[in-house]
Amino acid sequence: MYLSLNSLMWLLLFGGVTGLTAVTLLFYALSTSQNTNVPKWRARSTPTHLLVVLGSGGHTAEMFSMLRRMNFDPSKYTYRTYVVSSGDNFSAAKAVEFETEYLRHKSIDNPAESYTIVTVPRARRVHQSYLTAPFSTLNSFWACLLVLRGRHADQKPLPASMISPYPDTILTNGPATAVCIVLAARLLRLYNYIGGFFSSKDPSQKHGLESTHYQLRTVFIESWARVTTLSLSGKILLPFADRFLVQWPALEGLRAWKGMRKTEYVGMLVD
Amino acid sequence: MTSSMKLCFVTVGATASFHLLLQAILDESFLVALREHEYTHLLVQYGKDSQTLFEESLSKLPSGNCGIEINGFDFNHAGLDSEMRLAQANSSEGRSGGLIISHAGTGSILGALRLGVPLVVVPNSTLKDNHQEELARELQKQGYVVASKYQDLSTAVKRAEALPSRMLTWPPVNGIGQRRHRTLAQVVSDEMGFLD
Repeated sequence: MYLSLNSLMWLLLFGGVTGLTAVTLLFYALSTSQNTNVPKWRARSTPTHLLVVLGSGGHTAEMFSMLRRMNFDPSKYTYRTYVVSSGDNFSAAKAVEFETEYLRHKSIDNPAESYTIVTVPRARRVHQSYLTAPFSTLNSFWACLLVLRGRHADQKPLPASMISPYPDTILTNGPATAVCIVLAARLLRLYNYIGGFFSSKDPSQKHGLESTHYQLRTVFIESWARVTTLSLSGKILLPFADRFLVQWPALEGLRAWKGMRKTEYVGMLVD
Repeated sequence: MTSSMKLCFVTVGATASFHLLLQAILDESFLVALREHEYTHLLVQYGKDSQTLFEESLSKLPSGNCGIEINGFDFNHAGLDSEMRLAQANSSEGRSGGLIISHAGTGSILGALRLGVPLVVVPNSTLKDNHQEELARELQKQGYVVASKYQDLSTAVKRAEALPSRMLTWPPVNGIGQRRHRTLAQVVSDEMGFLD
């Protein structure tokens, strides 16, 4: 009786230490992969891949308003991927309009192969039962992972100049799909970081790993319509996005918890 | 007839119906207020499910509609830009500058601000999770729009008449006095690693 209690104590202690170590390691891996550095410099002529998440009328209209206002330069962001939710023809049409009417005028060196529009299933359709919602959310999440890895059926092969299938930067202003995309990007980065421990010797793979280190950066822009409170997507993504931009001063300096990155007030980005 | 056209364009948006706003603008007192400020036309985008309400309200008005010519349509999928332009002053087409009354959707607000037409924003207080009122109030505080409840539209028309002289330029420019922010182009450049 006495003995078994003693061994139980040891077992508990052992289990506790192992568990604590595992959790610490996971958190370390998480925080390190979350804090990847942006490349120190990049020559202007380097090909880049920007992924823009669109979704529902207001968000899409705001996104293109901001891209126009920033004087979007297709020779700088050489390849664009637009992600739309299934059934959202408005957003897809706006993306085509932006590419063919706006960007075509800006640069003669902007072939049609320099962008792609990908449709992912909705996490939850309007009026869909909450019972089936978790499954459709997983389905949507899986599609987002495929998109980020360049394996989605809608995606044309990337230009040969792109070394990696991953987009360099992800830009979104908060439709539901954005939550899936940003979390998927984070998961991929964690996966690559942990994978880096196990395949470190091979120099050719080492090179590949390093290029992924500063990819899949996420920029979340809170909607212009949000003056004093964050949107639901914003609240979820506050701890996950690398840059969190807000357009009204009352939202400046928010953070998920102490020690984390704060929201940046950048003024009105729309036109 | 178009020689002295002055138009008020009302939009309720595509997603949610806004019956209270429709009833308020098709009320005799509102039309009288429009007439007082020399409006000649009222154009209404009433939404997909509100055609019967629009027609019923029209039939209740006194004959002659208080001297205002009223037209309506459900929605335009190509956007409302061309309708909004009818409220813009255009001397060659004989229009003096009118007014846009809009629900607080961002698309409509930005559309009107871009055209520089005086805008009255009427938040739909029946919607859940209402952050629209804050947006309308803040934009009014900064002098871009007139925010109004649907009950107070007659006075809002008067307030909007005074708006053009005070209306700020759109899009807002970051002046010397204002704080410097990073622009979106700079933030994305940061993330890509461009130094210039």
